[in-house]
Amino acid sequence: MDDLKNIFSLFDTEYITEYKTSWLKVKLSFSSNLLDVAQMLQKNGLRTISTISPTDFIDENKIEMNYFFEDLVTKRNCWLKCDIPRELKHCKIESLSNLFKGALWHEREAYSMFGVKFLNHPDLRPIILSQDYYNKFPFRKDFDWQEHEKNSVENMNLIVESFQEEEHLSENKLDPNSSEMILNWGPTHPASGPIRLKVHCDGEDILGIDPDIGFVWRALEHLVTQKDFVGAIVAVERLCFMDNINSMVCYAQAVEEIAEIEITEFAKWMRVLLGEVGRISSHMMGMGGFYNAMGLHTVAMWNMDMRELFLDFLESYSGARIATASVEAGGVRYGLAPEMLEELQKALDKFDATKEDIKNIFINNPTMKMRAAKLGILTQDEVQEYALCGVVARASGVKTDIRIDEPYAAYDQIELEYVTQKGGSAKDRLFQLFEEIEQSVSIIKQAKKHIEQKIEEGEFNPTKDYMVKMPKKLPKGEAIARVEWARGEVLMHLVTQEKAKSPYRLKMKAPSFNHTMMVEHLLKGETLSDIPLVFGSLYICQGDLDR
Amino acid sequence: MLFEIFIFPGILYILVWTVVLFWFFRKFMAALHKRVGPSFNGPAGSYQTLFDLSKLLTKESITPQGVNPYLFSLMPLLAASIAIVPTALIPWNSGSTVLSSNYALLVLVVLIGIEPFLLFLTGFGSNNKYSFLGGIRVLTQMISMETSFFLAALSPAILFGTLNLNSIVESSSWLSFVVLIPGFFLYFIALLGLLEQPPFNIPDAEQEIVYGFYTEYSGTNYFLLKIAEFSEFMAVFAGAATLFLGGYRGLFFDNFLCLFLKMLAIAVVMMVIRASTPRITMKQMLQFSWSYLVPLTLLNLAWIMAAKILFFGAAQ
Repeated sequence: MDDLKNIFSLFDTEYITEYKTSWLKVKLSFSSNLLDVAQMLQKNGLRTISTISPTDFIDENKIEMNYFFEDLVTKRNCWLKCDIPRELKHCKIESLSNLFKGALWHEREAYSMFGVKFLNHPDLRPIILSQDYYNKFPFRKDFDWQEHEKNSVENMNLIVESFQEEEHLSENKLDPNSSEMILNWGPTHPASGPIRLKVHCDGEDILGIDPDIGFVWRALEHLVTQKDFVGAIVAVERLCFMDNINSMVCYAQAVEEIAEIEITEFAKWMRVLLGEVGRISSHMMGMGGFYNAMGLHTVAMWNMDMRELFLDFLESYSGARIATASVEAGGVRYGLAPEMLEELQKALDKFDATKEDIKNIFINNPTMKMRAAKLGILTQDEVQEYALCGVVARASGVKTDIRIDEPYAAYDQIELEYVTQKGGSAKDRLFQLFEEIEQSVSIIKQAKKHIEQKIEEGEFNPTKDYMVKMPKKLPKGEAIARVEWARGEVLMHLVTQEKAKSPYRLKMKAPSFNHTMMVEHLLKGETLSDIPLVFGSLYICQGDLDR
Repeated sequence: MLFEIFIFPGILYILVWTVVLFWFFRKFMAALHKRVGPSFNGPAGSYQTLFDLSKLLTKESITPQGVNPYLFSLMPLLAASIAIVPTALIPWNSGSTVLSSNYALLVLVVLIGIEPFLLFLTGFGSNNKYSFLGGIRVLTQMISMETSFFLAALSPAILFGTLNLNSIVESSSWLSFVVLIPGFFLYFIALLGLLEQPPFNIPDAEQEIVYGFYTEYSGTNYFLLKIAEFSEFMAVFAGAATLFLGGYRGLFFDNFLCLFLKMLAIAVVMMVIRASTPRITMKQMLQFSWSYLVPLTLLNLAWIMAAKILFFGAAQ
């Protein structure tokens, strides 16, 4: 940490404070110093930019930029802030994407949503937004959503026209004597989900891929600012419904930090228990998705069969199977009854009974290994450069896991080790998924045992302890919270105003955004057959890709 | 003759076979997937396929813009009718072949070989990128898989010295069955490639090129293509049972039922492979076909000739 502080002694700063266990929070006085600071941070080992989050302070007529630098090896992080003017003409800042490749799309996003111009960015096109939002910067506080909705027919026509124009242009650019073409992989493709990969290919060979994302953009980050702090959880959990619980945990932690509230021990353990169930249900779909990409649906079906029982537990706890809305600031939403744990036990038993079959048939599958062992290889350097996280990072051998690096809930009391693979290929990502399911099951067993024991000893009262009272209004403040979500690190940056009833700004950094960036890099030079496999192995969910 | 054309082994038989096999595939696959499968209509959901096929027949057949409508609609019809013809050559029961010919095996092989070119043309005539890629994939796969398919199908002909399917069935014995086992395995692998079954379901790889050459087809045309596909299943399965497994001859009695059970057993093995093996890529298929399968089928022919001399006394 001290070497980081030394760096900042060279520049004008408004404040330098230590934040949480592993963060250094710094505000630069001048945004012009940013590039130099970033360069020095990079030399110091902070090679990863997790995300870039502008906050629009319309009253103070400024946009505050937040950069989150991370070091995946030594676990030192830096939260860097600086102000830039709000007027579109002067709303400019130096781009960091030439130093940190992971910032490429994050800067494009900040440009599309807030109109921050990044100087020297190699490809500053709008991203996520549809054409009718271009150059309107919807996340600025003075954007009028209702006014925009009034012209929905015109907006729709604009989208259609620009699509046709683009199609026309891209076909015209090709050499008419070659066998090159632009193939749309998505958004209504059987394996794509709502994303469009514009595949430039020569027969079966891929020459380039340009992902077009934003088909399920719900503007969740804006939506939460329209709701109160409790109501916001339903928007937050829709980051991706597969693992909805951990995203709510992340948001709740940020709110609790601003409110300065400590939740009960029982609620912490419940968050672990629920979170791991969410992780399992997501990973099982991920394994299924991996094999579906190769035309084999058996794994998905078998995993669904097991997953149903885990969802039974969630249903018995919250009444809903998928979008549970079961975690809110102050603890967890409901108490715990003994029958619920019985449901969970059934699921665990089912998993233990099926585990070996899956391992023998599908993990050690020779045909799968033949296809996936040499495909989509990501090195440790690439993981750090592009800010990859979660399953993808660990499959390449990078030891990163927020549950261990920055323990939250009750993870500090749980026996937990990094699960990693060596190769970083598509096959390793499948192995990683399976081993993480096994790890989660072991965590659930520990948590369940602990909860049962403490209830028996009378230390936990499952009908009362689950929630502490939260204040209706929050003070002015800001906080970041990180959790290890099923797909990787989720970082939420929450800003509140004085006597706030709803968030002023919530930035959600979700892993699929960075992982989709890798699609072109991994697929250039491969064949069409490899698209679904690489895409499936990156474990991408369009929910958290678009938000 | 009319009975043979319209009832058995003609059109009605093909339709019943398609409906039953379709249903069987669904039910069996469901069991392997730990699902239930169709269950609402009729006993064990058996009407479901019937309804599905009748739905396809009554649905609008959409012809996309910019294609030659005659080529587009002719191809499914041609594919279906050519796929039905081989049933006339198969000896379903002792002495009941519709067309008994001394060149039946050759005709069977040629008819099965024409099919992919028709499917290629359906893809070519669809004016769709996915269909076109699918069509090219069909051609590539067929050229590499049919070589070994035909070479494997020739092994009984060489062993028994005849191309007449009736004579092949009649002269089969336990000894010939054992001698033909390697040939059967090779035939079966080539069959998977020919019928576009996993791990060789490359031409209609859903996750890559949507539905390959099927992509633009709907309604009646799609129905005809499905009929063609299932008739081809029948021709190839029946071919396998006739050539290698002794056709209608059974352990206790010689009957059509024996042939049917053998065909079903082949279908079951095919389904189990389908439920446990992911798809391979085009490159891997080509490599597998030309560097392993074709040399092995050639070796198999050498083995058949050696066996003929050793066990069947052909040297004299």
